[in-house]
Amino acid sequence: MTTKDSDRTRSLRGVCFGVIGLLYLMSVPWYREADAPLVLWLGLPDWVTVAMACYVGVAVVNAVAWLATEVPDEPVPGKGLGISEVQE
Amino acid sequence: MNFGFWGVIALVAYLAALVGVAEIARRAKTDASPSDHFLAGRSLGTFVLFLTLYATAYSGNSLLGYPGRAYRDGFSFIMATGFMMAVIVGFHVLVPRLRPLAVRHQFVTPGDYLRLRFTGAWARELRLAIGLLMTLALANFLLAQLKAMGDVAHLVTDGRIPYEAGVIGLAAVILFYETRGGMRAVAWTDAAQGIAMLLGLAALFGWLISEAGGMSEITRAVASRRPEAVAIPSATVCINWFSTIALMGLASVLYPQAIQRVFAAKSGLALKRSFAGMTFMPLVTTFVVTLIGIAAIARFDIQDAVDTDGVVPMLLADWGAAGGFATAAALLVFLGALSAIMSTADSCLLSLGSLLSRDVLGRAGSDEAATLLGKRLAAGVLIAVIPFALARELTLWRLIELKMELLIQCVPAFLIALHWTKLRTGPVLAGVVAGTLFSVTLTFSGVTRIEGLHVGIVGCALNTCVAVLGSALPRPKRKGYSPSEAPQSG
Repeated sequence: MTTKDSDRTRSLRGVCFGVIGLLYLMSVPWYREADAPLVLWLGLPDWVTVAMACYVGVAVVNAVAWLATEVPDEPVPGKGLGISEVQE
Repeated sequence: MNFGFWGVIALVAYLAALVGVAEIARRAKTDASPSDHFLAGRSLGTFVLFLTLYATAYSGNSLLGYPGRAYRDGFSFIMATGFMMAVIVGFHVLVPRLRPLAVRHQFVTPGDYLRLRFTGAWARELRLAIGLLMTLALANFLLAQLKAMGDVAHLVTDGRIPYEAGVIGLAAVILFYETRGGMRAVAWTDAAQGIAMLLGLAALFGWLISEAGGMSEITRAVASRRPEAVAIPSATVCINWFSTIALMGLASVLYPQAIQRVFAAKSGLALKRSFAGMTFMPLVTTFVVTLIGIAAIARFDIQDAVDTDGVVPMLLADWGAAGGFATAAALLVFLGALSAIMSTADSCLLSLGSLLSRDVLGRAGSDEAATLLGKRLAAGVLIAVIPFALARELTLWRLIELKMELLIQCVPAFLIALHWTKLRTGPVLAGVVAGTLFSVTLTFSGVTRIEGLHVGIVGCALNTCVAVLGSALPRPKRKGYSPSEAPQSG
């Protein structure tokens, strides 16, 4: 993988993690009135359907992030702990 | 002949098949080293790796504990789908950095990484502290599986197999095939168990939906019986929702058996493909078991919290009593559920053996004696845990929380240490001790949440502050890492 490819992959993963964070934030109904009447969407309470839609989104984006991730079988110099870098 | 009778027949046939797989796996062994026994010679490809990760992640907790909690809480337990997915997100922090080190230095246990990463004063104590935390968490996990095995065997066979006999008998079978076949037997049985679980859950959910006349009817029936189960959660529940996602997402990444599957993978490519597939599994597993628990609200009136862990076996017994196709389908689900539980228990047991011998006792050899010691220690822990499984005071969900509150204290030593080279041994050890003492003290004082946040999460924040601030402070310069200290191939 070239440096340019690596940078592109890193920024794609960064975007993915940002989107995942937003989806998690939206999945929890903290922004809804607790005494709102029951409304069904697709057979589920509406806030549950919203949460599930967010989790479907997380699954898709996370799969993209994993496929864009390099999992090397050898330590890459300058990335991670080529253990001599550890300051002990 | 009723469902209970056929349950006993199906159970005996299934256990015989497991014993056969163990024998085949034993013959496939290339040597008696810990690497071959505990990691299947690092040969797991994408398909088996994916299924073994799946079967290990979805356990008795998922199949009995989650429906039980969904039965008690209602739709707010939809959070479970989110936190199970958060685990696969969390692995991004661990896998790309840990995998190459594991391959180069031939790690067998999480402690092998700590041995390499943390050197000098307090390194041994840190390894011991982390090893003990992981051992306690795994023993707790094993306990939950034993309880679940006893429940399923007892309820589905209509009492023909007593709870105690289910716990002890199934534990003996697991010990047999794990000891004979090691990781190969565990991974192969996991693969078959994963498929059985997936098919079984789909069948059970399909039956519930068709019985009730659709999902909308189930939701309306739940709303009329228990309105709070469909209501929008309160602010405290929302905070707990976020807290649970963080707790499970961070702590589950540090399951020793999950880390060992990262080591056991054939290649980095197999790993990333497996995780890409795994991210979808909460949608077809956790979501389904949550809805099963919620559907049970409309069918049963269970008062005692501990008994709610039995909603799935109760549903199966109801379904199987219809006879014909329903009995056959319910038996498939029964085997799927039992498979899921046993596959997690066997993984725990395998990890416990290696963790105790290498990380706690420091026997990091690569010979047959080290493997044998690991097997004996695993057997010892299993026998020690059985009496706790026979006492049934705690719900499966509470056991999950207790385990996670311990495991999450390992976050700085792995997730931060992999990314920040300045993190030092002494402050990490001080953080682990502070975070664990904080969480354990509050838990034993009866405080499980602080404003909706799990005490383990607050303890982890304290732990991280101590580790990071302590490492950031100036200190006298010390010698660097010596390659000779790296663990030898095992």
